[in-house]
Formats: sequence, C-alpha cells, structure tokens
Amino acid sequence: MKPRIGIFGLSGCWGEQIVMLNCEDELLALVGAVDIVDFLGGSSVNDRDTALAIALVEGSVANAREEAALRRIRERAGLLVACGTCACFGGVAAMENGRPRDEIAQVVYGPAARTYDIAPHRPLADFVKVDARIPGCPMEKHEFLQAVACLLNGDLPPVISTPVCAECKMQEQDCLLVSRHLPCAGPVTASGCHARCPGLNVPCIGCRGPVEEANFSSMTEILAKSGFREVEIRQRLRTFATPAVRDQVPKA
Amino acid sequence: MTRTITIDHLARIEGHAGITVVLDGSQIERVEFDVFEGIRLFEGLLQGRSYLDVSGIVSRICAICSHGHAITALLALERALGIDVSPQTRRLRDLAFQGASIESHALHVFCLALPDFLGLPSVIALAAEHPEAVATALRLKKLGNTIQEIIGGRAVHPVNYVIGGFGKLPSVDQLLLLEQSLETGLEDCEKAIALLRSVPVPAFVDEPIRCAALIPEDEAFFFGRAVRLSDAADIPVDQYRSLTNEHMVRYSHAKHSGHDGRSFLVGALARLTLHGDRIGGRARDVWQEIGPRLPCRNIVMNTIAQVVELVYSVEHALELVDSFLRTGLAAEPPVAYRVRAGQGTAATEVPRGTLYHHYELDSTGQVVAADVITPTAQNFANAEDQLRATVRDAGEVAEETLRHRLEMVARAYDPCVSCSVHVIRAG
Repeated sequence: MKPRIGIFGLSGCWGEQIVMLNCEDELLALVGAVDIVDFLGGSSVNDRDTALAIALVEGSVANAREEAALRRIRERAGLLVACGTCACFGGVAAMENGRPRDEIAQVVYGPAARTYDIAPHRPLADFVKVDARIPGCPMEKHEFLQAVACLLNGDLPPVISTPVCAECKMQEQDCLLVSRHLPCAGPVTASGCHARCPGLNVPCIGCRGPVEEANFSSMTEILAKSGFREVEIRQRLRTFATPAVRDQVPKA
Repeated sequence: MTRTITIDHLARIEGHAGITVVLDGSQIERVEFDVFEGIRLFEGLLQGRSYLDVSGIVSRICAICSHGHAITALLALERALGIDVSPQTRRLRDLAFQGASIESHALHVFCLALPDFLGLPSVIALAAEHPEAVATALRLKKLGNTIQEIIGGRAVHPVNYVIGGFGKLPSVDQLLLLEQSLETGLEDCEKAIALLRSVPVPAFVDEPIRCAALIPEDEAFFFGRAVRLSDAADIPVDQYRSLTNEHMVRYSHAKHSGHDGRSFLVGALARLTLHGDRIGGRARDVWQEIGPRLPCRNIVMNTIAQVVELVYSVEHALELVDSFLRTGLAAEPPVAYRVRAGQGTAATEVPRGTLYHHYELDSTGQVVAADVITPTAQNFANAEDQLRATVRDAGEVAEETLRHRLEMVARAYDPCVSCSVHVIRAG
C-alpha cells in the first residue's frame, strides 16, 4: 500500500501548496508514489479521518479553529512536517511592529475588529510535536522534494546549519554587506536558497528564518556601523521569525 | 419552514471559505460567502516600516498573486517618490505580468475548474483520465513560472523587483530559453483550445454581470490609469475608493465592495467584456470562437475568458521577448532617486482582477499609511449575487446538485481568499 499523505494549509499565503504544484516535472511521479487522501486545496473528495503516514502543513496558527485543526492533524499523522517559514517560525504575520494587535485591528477593521479572533500568529511547534521542518518563504522546490524522498525512505530531512553567506561565498558573489554596505541578513539566515537574493544584487531579508547559533548582536553592530538606524535594523531582523528571534533581537 | 444549505469549507480554491444559503420555502432568505481565513493585518504591520521593506512584505499576502502585489506596490511607491521608470523597465514588468497570467490561469482552468466541467473530483483524477491534458496544463504552468523566475528571481515571492528597476536584468541565454519555451507554449495553447472546445461549459445560471476593469494603457493590457465600468463614468485610479467602497460584513474576515450600491465583477471575463477588442492575434479568434455572446450572463464563462487571456499572454510575452532579443537589453541600473514625503496609488490587472495599492510615506521614507484592495475582495459581493441567482434559477433540483452548482459558481471567480482578508486600511 502506498503511504497516505495529507496536505493542509493554515493561515498563510498558500505558498507551500503552490510550490508543491510548481514541481511540474516531478508532480506526476510524486502523485504516483503516494496516496494523497486529504488535500482540500486540490480535491473536492477528501478523507478527513483516516490515519496519515505524513502530514504536510503550511501556514501559521492564527485562531482557535486552526489550533483545533492542527491538533486533529497531529493525532492522525505518523510524521508531521512544518512546511515554510510561517509553519516553522510564524512568518510575516507573526511580525510585531511595536503596537498591540487589537489596536492595529481597530485601525484596519474599525469597531467590528472586536468581534474577531486576533491572537498573534504562532508556529506549529508551539502547539504540537513537529517531526521535520522545511523552512523558506516559500520553501525551495528542491528541498521539498528532498524532504519527501527522505521521509518516504524512512529518514528525516537534513537540518540546515550554515548561513546564506556560505552559499554566497561558494558562488563567489560580491558581499553586499561588507563591500556595498547594504542591509543583507545573510549572516544570520539559514541557507538552502543558493543565496538567490545576493546573486541578484538584492540584500537577503531573512525569509528562511534564523540559522543555528546566529550572532544577532554582531549583525546589529555591523549594520549600525553602515549607518542604519536601530529601529530599521531590528524591524528588518524580526520580519520573518519574530517568535524565534524575540530574545536576541528585542523590540526597538 | 427554513432550510439551511452549508458548504463548510470550499475545496479547490486558494484559502479558507464557505457558503451558507438559508431558504424559507422557495424564498431565499440569505446567501453568504463566508471567509474564515486567519487575520494577518498586513497594512497595520507595514506602518512604521521603511518603504524599502514594503514590496517584500506585501508579496507574502498571496503566493499566487505575489508578483502582482510586489510590482503594484513598487508602482505606488514610485508615484509617491516621484520616480519615472524607463520604457524597458515597464516592458519587463509587463512580461512578468504575462508570466503570472499564464501560471495562474493554467492552474485555475485545468487543476481547479476543469475537473468540475468533466464531473471529476480533482486534477489527480483528471490526470488518470486525460493524462495528455494534464501534461499540457503543467507545461503551460511551468512556462508561466519560468517567466516569473527569470524576470522576478523566484516563481513565488519574487526578489528581483526593486524601486526604479531590477536587481539584475535577464541574460541573452535566459531570453533565448524563454523564446523557445514560449514557442512550445503556443503549441500547447492550441491543445488547450482544442480540449476546451470539446467540453461543454456548464450553464445553469442566467444573471446580468456588471463588469469593471482598468482601461489598458498602450500595448499593456494589464496596466492603466483609470477604471471602466459597464454602466458608469470612468474612474481615475487615485479615486479608487469611490469604486471599491468597502464595507464590513458580520460573517466574514473580508470586506465587501459595491458601486452605486450594486456589485460588480473584476477579472478575465470583465476585462474581455470591456476591452476584448484591444487584443489581437490568436487570442482574438479564440475569444470570438469559444467566448460567450456579449453581454455574458453565465458567470462560469470566466474560466473560458481565462483560457483566452492565457493565449493572449503567451503571444504577448513572445512579442516582448523577441523585441528584447532584437534590440538587446540596455544595462540600466535602477533609477536614482531621493527619499521624500508623498503618497501614491497604483492599480494593475492581476489574474483575478483589479488590484489597488496605496501608500503614504513621511520624509524619511517610513510608511505612514497603507491600503491594499484585492480583486477577490471586490468580487465577494458580486459572487453572493450570482450565488443567489444560482439558487433562484435552480428551481427544484436535488440539494446535491445545487451544492455542486454553488461550488462551481464560487470557483468560477477563482477566489484568492488569502488575498482577500487583507483588504485593510491603515492610517
């Protein structure tokens, strides 16, 4: 019997489901290797109860409804994989810009905001055990395929322990941070993207979340020396993974 | 006696939404398109951020519309900062929009909508019965993504679009790859047209459709400075609030739009209804051949309009790439500028309809106010009108048939629910 897979989206941009569908060359082989039994985004016939070998979950948890859905997925799944930066670290919706969420919601929705559940967005691991993570905003196609291949063969996907800078250097790209004084977050961001942004002359904005043992204080110092204001530096470093970097990068 | 029909969680759409219909005998009491996607408060989060961070943050509103959001944000910010980009930059952005159109329409037409036309539950089932059709669809989808990757740096959440231009321009080799892929794309379009010609479009609702779309500027079908409506005076883009005119509804996280108290449709069918005479080539023939008689009164035809736009986008992208290859791309760095206080509004036509971005900056370039209005948000009120008409026109059909029709109508809008919950004003 082929392993049963479920694909689920909580609050987010649907980016990981789009990346899965963007594996145009591999999609038919992938669909052939597994039995996708629960995928609301792709099918109107779904088995919402059966046990799953692997649950692929994207998005952050934004409200009680999603928390309950996530707990239910965990009960059904042998392995639960957090797909994308929102699921792994909270993502942009977990960003804090120094104002209470109910105040922002008021500005946005007016008095009706009071009737909404506006809890802060949180990563999956705040609620359930997560067996593997595929970070990235969105996750990289090659990392997704590698992770699925690992899981289908009884391995866990590799954990990334080098920063974007490592891949940038291997490609012999000019350092945007040192030589052009641009606010590149490469030193504190997990690699895996082949340093895409610096390769396009665009500074890294940290969309893959923090690398292990990231040195945020040194990063902040370098940016300050390049003339960036403290508030800008902190906002920038907190964009994608506020819940994970909150202690190292306090709110300005 | 009242009867409630609930579709808890719509399948094969982007995001989380449902439909509720309440009937009293044969009277329709209520029809609601409920959105329960988690609230992300994007515009609120942008307040106080540097203008440089905006494009990268707003692209995260939605994966499938990420290029549209990123570029529309830059257009609005460039207006706020008084920056004029070069014709080459405008044309490269136009090419990116064709990539987004090809990818998004191929996904919706074949993977999300077509299974309905053939009575199948999913594209996976479609692949088992019509493998050639799915292979064609995937090649077209990949073509759209290749364009977005080469021009925008990444298929989802582009990184190469910056204020005043691009981080890096495409190489000749990349343009040659695009040219070759687009030529194959033209052949795939023919296969798609042949397939669609053989599949009857469901027709179970008969209701007038009021359309709104940007008036195309020059050769660019998806860019413009004013909006046209079927039955009202043109509206300049910077007065967009008089059109979108949002109001909150109690059951939804998305705001609703109406103009003169009546709903309107945005998207492929609206664009082609209003400006179909502006497209040429094979797309024009296809629109005349498999498109609806105008004015269209069957909302399901929006999917056919998307096929026509898909053909237009492949043809137009090829023209653009060929012109770049003929003349070569000038090695233009992004336009130089000085930060200043100001405000700017921009609108574009993204696959699902008109997208508005508005920003106000202070003299240091910090965002004071942000406003994003997505096509799906504008379409909700119209979708409810069409769902109501669907119930009305159904008569005494079995509940299961009615439920399927309601789902088909909702999917015809190609709703992008992630986008819609950020129709938020801040400041």
